Amino acid sequence: MKIVVCIKQVPETNDVTIDPVTHNLDRRGLAGVMNPFDKNAVEQALQLKDANNDAEVVLLSMGPDDYAESLREGMAMGADAGVLLSDRAFAGADTLATGYVIAQAVKQIGAVDLVLFGRQAVDADTGQVGPIVAEFLHQPQITYAASLRLSGPNEVTAERLLEDTKQTLVATLPAVVSVRSELNTPRYPTPRNIQLSFAKPLTVWHHDDLDLDDSRLGQAGSPTIVTKVYAPEPVKRELTPLTGTPTEAASQLIKALKHRQLI
Amino acid sequence: MSKPELWVIAERRLDHVEPTTQQLITKAKSLASNQFKVVTILLEATTDHLENELTAYGPDEIRIVRDDRFPTATDAEHADALKQLVDAYQPNSILFGATITGRSIAPRLQAKLQTGLTADCLDLRFDDETLVATKPSYGDNIMCEIICPDHRPQMASVRPNTFVATPATGDATITTTTVTFHPVDRLKVTTARPVVNTATTVGDASRVVALGRGAASDASIDTATKLAEKLGGRIGVSRPLTDQDRFTHDDQIGQSGNTIHPELILNFGISGAVQYLVGMQDSQTIVAVNADPHAPIFDVADYGYVGDAQAFMAALLAQFN
Ligand SMILES: Cc1cc2nc3c(=O)[nH]c(=O)nc-3n(C[C@H](O)[C@H](O)[C@H](O)COP(=O)(O)OP(=O)(O)OC[C@H]3O[C@@H](n4cnc5c(N)ncnc54)[C@H](O)[C@@H]3O)c2cc1C
Ligand SMILES: Cc1cc2nc3c(=O)[nH]c(=O)nc-3n(C[C@H](O)[C@H](O)[C@H](O)COP(=O)(O)OP(=O)(O)OC[C@H]3O[C@@H](n4cnc5c(N)ncnc54)[C@H](O)[C@@H]3O)c2cc1C
Repeated sequence: MKIVVCIKQVPETNDVTIDPVTHNLDRRGLAGVMNPFDKNAVEQALQLKDANNDAEVVLLSMGPDDYAESLREGMAMGADAGVLLSDRAFAGADTLATGYVIAQAVKQIGAVDLVLFGRQAVDADTGQVGPIVAEFLHQPQITYAASLRLSGPNEVTAERLLEDTKQTLVATLPAVVSVRSELNTPRYPTPRNIQLSFAKPLTVWHHDDLDLDDSRLGQAGSPTIVTKVYAPEPVKRELTPLTGTPTEAASQLIKALKHRQLI
Repeated sequence: MSKPELWVIAERRLDHVEPTTQQLITKAKSLASNQFKVVTILLEATTDHLENELTAYGPDEIRIVRDDRFPTATDAEHADALKQLVDAYQPNSILFGATITGRSIAPRLQAKLQTGLTADCLDLRFDDETLVATKPSYGDNIMCEIICPDHRPQMASVRPNTFVATPATGDATITTTTVTFHPVDRLKVTTARPVVNTATTVGDASRVVALGRGAASDASIDTATKLAEKLGGRIGVSRPLTDQDRFTHDDQIGQSGNTIHPELILNFGISGAVQYLVGMQDSQTIVAVNADPHAPIFDVADYGYVGDAQAFMAALLAQFN
């Protein structure tokens, strides 16, 4: 079986600031690391491989050349290969254009049984790329999986936690799954695996290596535009006093919480 | 010419409407003024009447599609039904709750429509007919405004409890329409069990009862534990309480503990030192109870009571029972 894990490289910390002059995000000095939630997806893939020795785990990332670093990190955890989608034409992509290129790359890799995603990238925080890729591949999706296992030669079973319900879902492969961070603890690269990772293939695909419709790429292929970036003002609150005896005050609070649909 | 439609996609939560749907209707009405028609889209079973929980919020129309497969339909099946409705009615904009369900269906629909979707928004406004959506990123450290100028519909998912639902006058027209349900045979929901609270740590809890040095007695902790249970939440503590055996650093809120933004936090006997406040001041609804009327915690609170924490907790718990 062939498993593709999609990983994004993100700034090492979320303590970004706004440049007071240009009003742009100041990302100077921020090293890139693998999106922490994507490590859970890599770990899940490796566990499926541990349970099924025939499995091959391929990491896939779209981004500038330095994204190779997090691909290497994933290979040091134990993944078999990495594919980097790097081209100026892909830059400035929103989730739709990102999902398109990733879906085309999954098709190009070929015979992929399972595509895994992290729950969301910690920088832009949308969690949209997984379902978009699932739609473009016309495959079933399981989002926010809390557990995942092979339950048949061609089938996975997952648990999914909604706000109010725990579901068990069974998907016939090929399928797309995004995982919750609670489902596992990612393994650390061992010295031996780090050593081995240098011999593993890291392929870079540029624009011409994929079958692409240019109108769907990068900024031009992105319906959304970020028009303004700013530091949030602290929420201004108006204090409503609760008064009287504790019993009276508590009943005022219950009324207020009901009004806010919190109880 | 008829007004362009602004849609709110209704979501089910067990046998009720997810509260975010009602919040979005109120917000949509305030955005619409006379420019848009607010339409709530409701996919429900033939025996359901979830529209009864929506009429009081006054959307212009509740458009219902009934099929007994909807309550257990998968994301792709929902998105497929919504795509058919979008093709038929061509709305200007579509709002989803940024719940797990909403965040799973909305991007699937976005891909079918090849349009823009702004995630987990904290504010919305219209500039003419362009939806300007404000979303946080980098762990809520940065805000940005995002538009989708050239594609329709414009889509956004909105964080639960960002807006307050307010009952409104005005008669909602209730209409029914149909779509073709295309079952996805390759994905089956085999079991579905209701869960009350999935939080395992104070960091994931959507409701938090926070205790400080002024509410550190065994009796207070006991009452607080019961309150947290009633609210479906967790206990969190200020740093001094981590010295107690029953709390660890994992339970601590603040600069050197967890940064949290639950939908509700009740603070008992906490002074509100800056190192504590930075860990919780972005919570949606903040309640504080403190014996000292000048405690800084009141500066960030929505509701405050000056008095004994234990007495207030006991009174609150009694009224829940
Ligand atoms: C401040 C800011 C806000 C933004 N808001 C929006 C928005 O609201 N809507 C929108 O459409 N776009 C938005 N974008 C653009 C968006 O960040 C990019 O499209 C990005 O490439 C993917 O989105 P994400 O980071 O939200 O990933 P998510 O959808 O959160 O990522 C989910 C998973 O997809 C995989 N994945 C994501 N990106 C890649 C990649 N490049 N390569 C391989 N796998 C990947 C990973 O497994 C990841 O865990 C925003 C960008 C910025 C800077
Ligand atoms: C580098 C650094 C990092 C820190 N990080 C953290 C952190 O992450 N988290 C954290 O919490 N602190 C942190 N602190 C400590 C912080 O400065 C405060 O000391 C701490 O938050 C105080 O906790 P408290 O409010 O529970 O106690 P106190 O400040 O002692 O306040 C107790 C409050 O209870 C009230 N009270 C007393 N009796 C009653 C009663 N019967 N009923 C109602 N109210 C009553 C009092 O009026 C008072 O306001 C940090 C400090 C430093 C220097």
